[in-house]
Amino acid sequence: MGTFTLTASPRGRRLAGPMFLLAAALLIALFVASTFGTTAVSWREAFAGNVTARTVMFDLRLPRVLLAALVGAALAAAGVTFQTLLRNPLADPFILGVSGGAACGAALCTALGLARVPGLVSIVAFVGACTATAGVFLLARRREYTDPTRLLLSGLVLNALFSAIILIAFALSKASDLTAALRWMMGTLFGATWSDVVLLLAFVVVALVALVTISGDLRMLAFGEDDAKSRGVDVERVKLIGFAAASIVTGAAVAVSGIVGFVGLLVPHLVRLVWRRDFRILLPLSALGGAILLVLADLASRVALPTSELPVGAFTAILGVPFFLSLLRRSR
Amino acid sequence: MLQLRDVSFNYDGVIAVRGVTAEVARAQLVGLVGPNGSGKSTLLKLLARVLAPAAGAIEFEGRSVRDWQAKEYARRVGYLPQDPDPTFPMRAIDVVVSGRAPFLGRFQWESDADYDEAAKALSLCDAADLADRYLDEMSGGERKRVFLARVLAARPTLILLDEPLASLDISHVQQFSNLLRDIVNRTQTTVLYATHDLNWAAAYCDRMLVMQKGALALDAPPSALMQPDVVRRLFGFDARVVDGWLVPPVQR
Repeated sequence: MGTFTLTASPRGRRLAGPMFLLAAALLIALFVASTFGTTAVSWREAFAGNVTARTVMFDLRLPRVLLAALVGAALAAAGVTFQTLLRNPLADPFILGVSGGAACGAALCTALGLARVPGLVSIVAFVGACTATAGVFLLARRREYTDPTRLLLSGLVLNALFSAIILIAFALSKASDLTAALRWMMGTLFGATWSDVVLLLAFVVVALVALVTISGDLRMLAFGEDDAKSRGVDVERVKLIGFAAASIVTGAAVAVSGIVGFVGLLVPHLVRLVWRRDFRILLPLSALGGAILLVLADLASRVALPTSELPVGAFTAILGVPFFLSLLRRSR
Repeated sequence: MLQLRDVSFNYDGVIAVRGVTAEVARAQLVGLVGPNGSGKSTLLKLLARVLAPAAGAIEFEGRSVRDWQAKEYARRVGYLPQDPDPTFPMRAIDVVVSGRAPFLGRFQWESDADYDEAAKALSLCDAADLADRYLDEMSGGERKRVFLARVLAARPTLILLDEPLASLDISHVQQFSNLLRDIVNRTQTTVLYATHDLNWAAAYCDRMLVMQKGALALDAPPSALMQPDVVRRLFGFDARVVDGWLVPPVQR
């Protein structure tokens, strides 16, 4: 990595330093993001008992910034898992049809005029995401073996099919319903509630625990399936747990926030540019990095224009790409 | 240490290995040769537990390979696939230390002792100076040495290498062959490696296994293989033998 490295230990296996650094950065990001917004209120006012300030802080901003952090962590953790399992640097959390399935469910809700039923879009989107991923797996699995290339191709083809269904669903929808549907498809954290936060937190915790348990095996899988098998790794089991955890947590994130692009693809690469390419390190640091990026992107999307919100997915790219490119230039 | 009895394997009905019976003792350098598609790689994968035989039995140190606990087996048997390539380039020392993985518990990280073991393996492969270099900055030969070090880092008693000499220049072929010979002599390890280079294998190996259409066609010392009529029959190669080396008759 040439001269540029933040690795604390010369042997680079310590995780505590980088984790502390990113956790501190996340806390700062959460504080900053909850301080700024279109309404000028401060934490001091909220704690002093100002009712408006309390409402804005505790009912609107806090759930929103926490949800942003969770969605970012979920997508980045899923991204690094997919990149490792599929051995493909271009893999992102939506690659196995999760986004297509979720969007398809949401679009059908919209076409049927049901988009305004509270929570229904989220539930249908989650079911769509899980169904799509299961479908991709059934298509790709042959004789108890899941081939990464077949998985990628099946995901690609199903996503194309879903796009077609979405277009038809939109053509049949009422114009007034379309704005909300489009906003959802571009990804938004608008209207985040505490129940969203609690629900996604549960999914993120379960997925991360599952992924941490197999992270030593996933690290070996980076050398190829045959190599990993010869080292005593139960490759099919690891693939099953890894794909299931990453897909389900992606589905849950999509259900509460729509399709937020780029975090899952970009953040693992950012982490790889700075720290060691070892899944045991990449997973926790990617989750923290994804949380930071999405909290900041959401803040930018809220405050960029005084009158309206811009799509958060655009800001993940606008903030992430320059940072990524500068790291890419400074590393080897 | 290794016994194969009537071992067979097929990929979707296509027979890759048929009825192989052989025995390999400790501290031997064994060359596995044969034309393309003769089943060399598949046989190595069966021995490395990457694949399970469809029929027959493989025993390692008196116990069926199936009955070994996966990590226990991985500590004793090291396998190097044909083209190991991590998706993202890594530092050599990190690659080599990952060879210690079979010794680690689920949530355990490598200790300093594991890194020392990895550094030792790198020096043994004459690659100590590569420790902090990244794989994508290395030549093919350097990368081969790093991956051999990764196998050695676990100090296995049986080493299986799939075409370790392929794509090496001639001085590295010699260096690598010397290294394998040296490992066998010094550590009592058994090395079984697949190769297409009969001359080099015959010069260094104690024994040659010749595969043909999935079957074991010959199991003999190199001198028995390096005969014009044997080479013509097994490889379809017309050659004279000069000082133990196969030389093609060329007319200019």
